[in-house]
This record gives sequence, structure tokens and C-alpha cells, in this order.
Amino acid sequence: MKTTTRIIAPVCLGLALWANIASAEDTVLRFATWNTSPESIAVNQAIATKFEAAHPGVKVQVELYGDGFDDKLTAAMGAGNAPDVMYMWNFPAYYQSLMPLNDLIARDAAPLDLADIPESLMKISMIGGNTYAMPVGFTSQVVFYNKDMFATAGLAEPAAGWTWADLRTDAAKFRNAETKTYGFAVDAKPDPYDFEMFYWSNGTKYISDDGKTLEGYMNSPAAVEVLDMFADMIKKEEALALHIGDETGGKALFTGGKIAMYQSAMWDKTGIDESGVNYGVAVLPQFGDKPAHSVIDASGISISKDTKNADLAWEFVKFFSTPEAVTMRTNDLPIRMSVAKAAGMDADPHLKAFFDILPTSTRETNAFLKNPNWGRIQENLARAIEATMIDQGNAKVHLDEAVAASARFLN
Amino acid sequence: MTSPALAKRPSRRRTGGAGIAPWLFISPWILGFLIFTLGPLIFSFVMSLHDWPVVGKRTFIGLDNYTTMLRDDPQFRDSLWITVKFACLFVPLNIVLSFLLAVLLNLNLRGTALFRTAFYLPSVISGVALVTIWSWLYSKEYGLLNYLLSFAGITGPNWLGDENWALLAITIASLWGLGGSMLIFLAGLQSVPKELYEAARISGVPPWAQVIHITLPMLSPMVLFTFITSIISAFQQLTIALLLTKGGPVGSTYFFAKYIYDNAFKFHDMGYAAAMSWVMFAIILVLSMAVMRWSTAWVYYEGEVRKDGGNG
Repeated sequence: MKTTTRIIAPVCLGLALWANIASAEDTVLRFATWNTSPESIAVNQAIATKFEAAHPGVKVQVELYGDGFDDKLTAAMGAGNAPDVMYMWNFPAYYQSLMPLNDLIARDAAPLDLADIPESLMKISMIGGNTYAMPVGFTSQVVFYNKDMFATAGLAEPAAGWTWADLRTDAAKFRNAETKTYGFAVDAKPDPYDFEMFYWSNGTKYISDDGKTLEGYMNSPAAVEVLDMFADMIKKEEALALHIGDETGGKALFTGGKIAMYQSAMWDKTGIDESGVNYGVAVLPQFGDKPAHSVIDASGISISKDTKNADLAWEFVKFFSTPEAVTMRTNDLPIRMSVAKAAGMDADPHLKAFFDILPTSTRETNAFLKNPNWGRIQENLARAIEATMIDQGNAKVHLDEAVAASARFLN
Repeated sequence: MTSPALAKRPSRRRTGGAGIAPWLFISPWILGFLIFTLGPLIFSFVMSLHDWPVVGKRTFIGLDNYTTMLRDDPQFRDSLWITVKFACLFVPLNIVLSFLLAVLLNLNLRGTALFRTAFYLPSVISGVALVTIWSWLYSKEYGLLNYLLSFAGITGPNWLGDENWALLAITIASLWGLGGSMLIFLAGLQSVPKELYEAARISGVPPWAQVIHITLPMLSPMVLFTFITSIISAFQQLTIALLLTKGGPVGSTYFFAKYIYDNAFKFHDMGYAAAMSWVMFAIILVLSMAVMRWSTAWVYYEGEVRKDGGNG
């Protein structure tokens, strides 16, 4: 009896104390991000700190999931322990765990000033008429080129309306086997999400708009043309093939002066700036006279459906899209055009191309929003792209295989 | 009447009383096993009978996941075949090489301690660091391996970028971690009675025959152990494939374990992933049991007396 008391008493006391502390403690808002670069961490932390300052008694706990974002988020959701607020881009995979924001957005339309945010960015999180996120940043795709290398080669720099044929003619002139220099780099393992912009630019798409047909889309003649063109660039040594058994990235080669042109997005710009390379930024080339499209990689910020702090979470999400917070972000482009204009970004020669391509970039819907099994279909497509680049051709065969292997995912 | 049974009663109560204490002492392990091993194990079997997305509705579908796997999913067969090929390369090489290394280290030459450490070192390096090192070694243009080969006038292959080489490249990288089995062999070697070798030497048995007729039989329990653990680790190979080749090129190193991983964390199909894990478990279990049964033919335990039958 005595022993029992001896054990139970401190436990009770401990529990009481703990409960006391917990109630006196701040409300904790868990915020998960995939960024782990020092700049991004600093930006997110700074925004969180500002929010805390405006909301006494609130503690924002920034959780850095990094490369394991999906694994950790999946595990957390599976265990019913999702963060309150999180970065999000893969809405088809997660929307059932996210809170629809339509009503909140409608309620706070005035302070949100939606007219200032491009519609295409609001569209990224729309599924079944519901909006699941507020955008926080985005990037389109461009071609970075090395001005010094162009000058040395005596070539005119890329101009608006240039075509892939122009790019190939230029690229061929940079090839030097001795110094291992190439004009361009083709990624043999591109993210299929990004790669679809070449399909769009050549007048086709991965999958029909109803999400039910691949035949004649993924393996259409225009699609075959796109893949075979990139493969041919590798074959003719106009471009170096990236990611065939080698993880050297295009950015390292571009900043090292080994490739003259490099197709990429905002996420590489900081690194290129820091390298001191004298570079220019061109819009994506066209296929013939068809307008070039760029994919939009946009991150949004979403609220967990199961959060216990829904109001506070929405305040935080709103705070992220205030001009003040938007201005603080540096690793992507501002979602508010007023912020972009105020900073002179749409006239900045290093940023103009990112904005110039926006008008064509809202016309198509990304394949992953069209079919719930896209994640699996995409594996087959990725393999077809890789196989074509390794084979240096044969796109038709590989794409037909991908379409056949994906048939069972079309419901 | 005082029967012997009655007389024993107090002592039984004593054992009963003492019975709780030992259970309490081992309870951390028992609880850990129940909560972290047996529980998830049973849970995963329940999952495998469901369509179990991470988010959204879970529906009971009976054995559908298993039939889909066997009937409709070509990647399941491909991945299983790749894993079997890998196991056929890895398991024998792992046993032979770690055995040979152990024999060499047991010669007690100068610097043995240094080499023993050197060979064991890769086993304590984390998988990620190991993969980083190998990705540098294997690089086609800038890699050390192809640089060394160029001295011999050989143009090295694109180790990780060529469908015909990638599996071999992963096997070699995996073999780098053979320090663990080497150490087991080494410990076994040092416990082989010296008298056996002395007797053999006096009888004029050449050294290679000593290895075959003395060392190997005496080490057969270690061979069995290494055999089974190698099979298990071959089937569970994930880290290197995940990080070094990401399953490529063109799916040529898309191991079974990676396919399970992708189903769970990429396609969010937990039920299917759980079903695949159970298939893997069954395969490993059957293989291990087959090896155990077969081992009675060649494993010799010291002090063992072969019995021809009877129940004595």
C-alpha cells in the first residue's frame, strides 16, 4: 500500500504540473516545408517570426521535411498526426486530407486582393471546384545562356521567338570534345511534370482532357517528334545527356562553363548568380511557329483537414500571401504582380523571360490533375523518355510500350 | 492421505510467485516485440487485405491485392526477377569472398590488424555515404574506376547508365559491406582446434586440402548462417538501388524492395505494398527453410553425434 502511494503520488503531481505548464504554454502551430536550403529556411523562419509577433501566444513550429517531404507527410497523415499547415503541390494525392478553402477565401476576398494574383496560380490547387491552397511562390521555365561563350563563338544571343532549330544550330558550334564542352544539356530523366511543356509547345499533351485516353496523345506523332528531337541532339553531340548513370547536374556544368545553354527554372538562379557567370535568360524556344508553353511549378500552402487550430491556420496562410510576406521570399517568383512590378522584376533582364511566357502557360491542364492514377502512368512515361535518350532514338517504340503498359490504369 | 502432489504445492506457489518477476524483467523486450514487431506484422497483414490509401476511405477487398500482383502487374514479376538475379550474384560472392578474406586475415601476417579494420570499415559506414562514394567511383567520365581501367587500355562501361552493367555495379557496391560476414568467419577460424592442422601437417596434407577438409567443415555452421543472412539482405536490398540508380537505367535495377517502397510512399497504395511485403516474407521464409533442411547434409556441429534413428 505504502509503495503504491509512493509511486502514484509523484506521478499525479507530475501530471498536474505538466497539465499546468501545457495550458500556460503558447498555442503551437505546426508548419511543414520541403525547403532545406539555408536561404529558404531563413525566409520561412522570418515569416513565421513576423506572424508570431503579430499573434502573441502563438508559436509557429517550422518542421523541415526536406527531400523526405512526401514520406514524412504520408506517415504523419497515416498516423493521424498531420501538421496544421504545410507546403503542398501534389494536390491530387493529398486533397482528401486538406481543408477546402473556398468559403474562407470568399469571406476574406477583400484583404486577400485576389485580382493581384494570377488566376493560373489559384488554379493549381483546384480539384472538383474546391481550392485547397493559397499560392506562395512559383516559377516558369527558361533557358539560361552563357553570354561570354556566345561572344567568343561569335554568335548572336537568343532572341524572342527563337526555335529549337535555332538552338540546335547554335549548340552544335559549342561542341568541343577536348574540353568536354557542349552547347546544351538534355535531361534523360526529367520530371515528367515539367517535360509536358514540350508536348504542349508541339501541340500535343500526355493524356486526353477527360483523363481516359493515352493512345494518340502520349505517343502521338508530335510527341514522338519531341522525344526524337532531344535524342537526336544527344546523338549529334549538340547536347550532353544528363542523368544517364551520372548525377552531375546541369547547373554545375553551366556554372563551370561546360555547357553554353541550360534549360531550368528559378531554383537554379541563385546558384548561377553566385557563380559569377556572365549569363542571360531567354524564353523557351518554339517548335516552328507554334507558341512555346512553360510549365508552372507553383507551391501552395494548405491546411490539414484535421487541424485543431483551423482559424489560426487560416490566419497564417493569409499572412503568407500578404505583400509583406511575398516580398520576403527570394527563391521563387512573387505571386503578387504588384510586388513583381514594384521590384521592377518584369523589366529585369534576368527575370523578364520568366514573366514573358506566362500568357501561354495557363492554357493546358497538367496531366496529374486529369487522372488519379497518373503517378503510376508517369513511371512508364519516364521510362520511355529515359530509354529514348539512352537509345538516341526509337521514341515511337518506347512511347507505344509506355501507353500499352499504362492501359490498366485508365479505369 | 498426503500425496506427493500435495507436498509439492508450496513449492509450486513459490515458482508461481517467482514467475512474475522474471516476466517483469524481460517485459521491456516483450513489450517492445509486441508493440513494434508483432503488432505491425499482424497489422500489415490486415492492411494487405484492404485497398488502403494513405488518405481517404479504406475498403476490404479480400485477396485482390495478391491476385492483381500475380495476374495483372508485370512490374511485380520484373522486380522479383531482378531481385532473384541480384541474389544469385550477391549470395555466393558474399560467402566466397568473405571466407577467403577471413582465411587471408587468419594467416597472422604483419599488418593483419590494419587490414581487418580496413575490410570491416565499410560495414560501419552509413548506406548513404557508401552510395555517394560509389557514385563517384562509377562515374563514366570522371570516375576513378574507369580512370584506372584506362591504364589497362580498357574503355570502362557506363556502370550506372548501362542496363547491362548497373545490376553488377550494385552487386559490387553491396559486396563492399561484407565485413560483417568476414568477421564471423574469422571468429570461426580462430576457434578451429590447432591440433587438427598439426595432425594434417604431420600426415603431409597440403595446405589447400587442409582448407577443404578441415577449415570448411569446421566453419560450415558459419557458412549456413552467412548463407541465410545473405539471402535475407539480398531480398531486402533497398538503400543502394534507391540512391545509386533510383531503379534505373530503364528499370533495370528496380528491385522488389524498391517497388514496395514506391507503392507505399509514391503511389500511396499501402495495402498493395503490405501484400507485396508478405509475398517477400513468404519467399524468404521458404528459401531459408529450404536452406536449413538442406544444411543437415553438409553442416557439421562440433560434438555432434550422427544418429541413424531411434529416439534416444
